[in-house]
Amino acid sequence: MQFENRAPDEHVNYSIEHPLKEFAWLVGGVLGSLLILTLLVGFFAGELAARLPYRYEKALAGEMAGQLVGKTPDPRSAAIEQELNRLAARIAAHLPLPEGMQVTVHYQDTPELNAFATLGANIVIYQGLLARMPDENTLAMVLAHEMAHAQLRHPARSLGRGVAVGIMLSALNSGMGRSAAGGALSTTGGISLLKFSRDQEREADAAALAAIAALYQHVGGAQDLFRVLESAGAGSEDLRVSMLSTHPLSHERIDHVAALARERGWAADGARTPLPAILIH
Amino acid sequence: MDFLLDYFEWALFLFLLALGFFAGRFLERRHYRSIRQREKKLAKVLTFATRFPPNLVDPQDCRLVSGCVVISSDYFKQFVASLRNLVGGRFRGYETLLDRARREAILRMKEDARRAGYYLIVNVKIENTSIAGGRQGAMPSFELFAYGTALKPSKHAV
Repeated sequence: MQFENRAPDEHVNYSIEHPLKEFAWLVGGVLGSLLILTLLVGFFAGELAARLPYRYEKALAGEMAGQLVGKTPDPRSAAIEQELNRLAARIAAHLPLPEGMQVTVHYQDTPELNAFATLGANIVIYQGLLARMPDENTLAMVLAHEMAHAQLRHPARSLGRGVAVGIMLSALNSGMGRSAAGGALSTTGGISLLKFSRDQEREADAAALAAIAALYQHVGGAQDLFRVLESAGAGSEDLRVSMLSTHPLSHERIDHVAALARERGWAADGARTPLPAILIH
Repeated sequence: MDFLLDYFEWALFLFLLALGFFAGRFLERRHYRSIRQREKKLAKVLTFATRFPPNLVDPQDCRLVSGCVVISSDYFKQFVASLRNLVGGRFRGYETLLDRARREAILRMKEDARRAGYYLIVNVKIENTSIAGGRQGAMPSFELFAYGTALKPSKHAV
């Protein structure tokens, strides 16, 4: 009897498909669905966070406030802070703040051209930005814009979105055994988390403008603020700060503000209020 | 250059992915060429999974023959496999990997038999061991061990 071992069939035990085809399908499919999932989870977590009663945000912010203020301010900074809070209180009268929300302005004596709002209606303004304010109307627009973020619960939305997406990505990451793909995925997910979106900035501009119009009977300071930001952004490289990169382009905001003013019938300009002496540098 | 430094992790990842793809594909093709060539060369050494040879009449000399191979995945295959873990389906990259390992182990066993003058192996079995030990994030690597009983007609007939 004659026996032989035949050569194995080369198309049964493994696939002869090009490996890059599988790679493209997997990467495209997984990253695409991850992107959709991140956007959905982020959106719903943000909406949910914004609907939580303000007192929860305040309790959370209480723990952070210490880090925010840092060292005890010198007497001059303390006086500036007091003056800023006085102005903020006048603006607050014209903003529909949620129940129990008390805006606190902090002053940082460093040259960054920036101001931001964070949890617990805490607002930080830097010396660099304050020094460029031509009058009280412009400064009021800065404060009103940041207060509008707080009023619209944008910091809570950002935090809710960040936490939910972070948990989702780390769960996915540990599920994949911290492999190379997991690392790549969490980097991709992180890119989609900006601080505030451009729509949120526009929303804050509109709310701030209404408060400014009610306070001064005209919206003169608003366009000046954007011109200040624009000229600073076009100038020195050091001043290209985070505020400029995430905010809508300044000329767009000028147009937006002008359109809003026309629509609502607010005077485009009027008598300017000078800055209190302590705030002039 | 600054761009590379800023995105060093990404650059390194893409470099490893490309290295895994091109080197892995080159080695795999070369290995398959060699496997097919040697399978032809060793076709005279017959292997059977049965415990006894099909036509056992004469007394036989026997000897244990074995062939062993350790094979590792590459970065590209591992990356694709970790994505595959999420959605399920065929691990195409690992299929060729294990196919090569099995055939290589059998070839080495056949070479072992032929060196000792045997041309028939029965009771062929294949064992495998994962030597990455299931450690998280470790590159999968396997040992495949083929062994069997080589037989040839005995010169000292009883």
